[in-house]
Amino acid sequence: MTGGPDSGAPHRDRGRAALALATGVVLLSLFGIAACRARTAPDVGGPTVSALQSAPAPTTTGPGVPVSDGRPPAAGVPDSPSSLRIPALGITATVTAVGVNAATGELDVPPSVDRVGWYRYGPGMTADAGSIVIAGHVDSAEQGPGAFFRLGKLRPGDSVTLTGPRGGTRTFEVVARERYAKTAVPLDRYFARDGRPRLTLITCGGPFDRRIGHYRDNVVVTATPG
Amino acid sequence: MPILPLRRAAAAGAVALTAFAGLSAFTTGPAAAASSRVSVVHGIPGQPVDVYVNGKKTVPGFQPGKVAGPLALEEGSYDIALTKPGDDLDQALLTVEDAKVPGGADISLVAHLGADGKPVLTPFVNDTAKVGAGQARLAVRHTAAAPAVDVRAGGKPVFEDLTNPKEAKADLPAGDVTADVVLAGTDTVVLGPTDLSLKEGTATIVYAIGSADDKTLDVVAQTISGLHSAPGGVPGGSGGLADRGLSLPWYALGGTGLVLLIAGLVRLRTGRPAAPARR
Repeated sequence: MTGGPDSGAPHRDRGRAALALATGVVLLSLFGIAACRARTAPDVGGPTVSALQSAPAPTTTGPGVPVSDGRPPAAGVPDSPSSLRIPALGITATVTAVGVNAATGELDVPPSVDRVGWYRYGPGMTADAGSIVIAGHVDSAEQGPGAFFRLGKLRPGDSVTLTGPRGGTRTFEVVARERYAKTAVPLDRYFARDGRPRLTLITCGGPFDRRIGHYRDNVVVTATPG
Repeated sequence: MPILPLRRAAAAGAVALTAFAGLSAFTTGPAAAASSRVSVVHGIPGQPVDVYVNGKKTVPGFQPGKVAGPLALEEGSYDIALTKPGDDLDQALLTVEDAKVPGGADISLVAHLGADGKPVLTPFVNDTAKVGAGQARLAVRHTAAAPAVDVRAGGKPVFEDLTNPKEAKADLPAGDVTADVVLAGTDTVVLGPTDLSLKEGTATIVYAIGSADDKTLDVVAQTISGLHSAPGGVPGGSGGLADRGLSLPWYALGGTGLVLLIAGLVRLRTGRPAAPARR
């Protein structure tokens, strides 16, 4: 800089202006980065999920009228998975069999956030029809992030592996990721016991209502056997 | 044994099946599909039969205690006959002519003994309404030559004073129950106890069959599946950590940045014309 003593004031002015400009740019960039990170990935694969539901399951009826034994129904062998692994998210979670919360009528998701719950009334791990449902916490106020904290990051093609109690495995490939307001989730589609076999992973997502302590949305990932 | 009453019934002809005409009153109206699902239940001990529908042998060698079907029958009238296996139709043990089958219903047609010990064919309309998530439906039908009974689950009466040929039903939490049947108002067990696994989303229909006098009382069970509904929702978070929306401080930060940027630009602009003049 070559300015004499008389030119000091404008220089300081320009310096301040440049500083304000630079700070503004930095702050706006930070905001931009945060906004980009906050952007929720759009749904993918919705039509695939509908198609899976409407596809007929294989039928096994032969000729003639089927005659069944009139013995009282006995308890079946549970077809429960015991663990779930998603390499893309680096998670392995213990699976417990869950039913319906008698008080709320909702799925009884395991209270421990590092476990996920398999809906024991629906199709089991080796089912050849219908939707195998596994639900887990995205987080909890007391325990922090849950097993399905990053479920919404899954992309078509990612793999999900279920392991049975005796070590048998079944691997699925993600075909869809959807987000619905909880008041509008087509639950009948995700809890269907007919249609093509598929694995449905459900957690919470979207905006969080601090007043009532719940998320607005459900995040649903659908995967088909590989 | 019970073959005797069957012969008597053959002589009596088509007396039994009177309730069919009343069936259409139970089934719901115009939206119902034309075809009905009809199951046949054999509740007469000791006598295998061939089942004829409209003169066509439909269920050959049908054994007591078994359930056949469901058959898909269009709405209409049907002639139904039971013969001893291999016998001609004109030697039928039990015949019913012009049995009306309504459209869009789920029906169980039960060959059983009446309260008086004579074989009859009774149609029941099955309740196939959806059950709530986690629930199962249990229906008990008194189709035995026996007096009024109570049905108990876990020792407590759940259905009381049931008579032939009536049914009682309830939706219960899915799971295992131990049921027995006692003479109405007493603790005299006439049937059971029997373990029932009530599967979620199904209807289990239990028939009491046979004859108390002949000591042939038994149960036959029929299961209708596909009545499940989805749970009311999936609660999966209470922490708010996954709320990816931007909070207020981020917007404040962005706003401040924008103000500084504009202010800086304005200052540079206004400052710039003066600077070259001094160079």
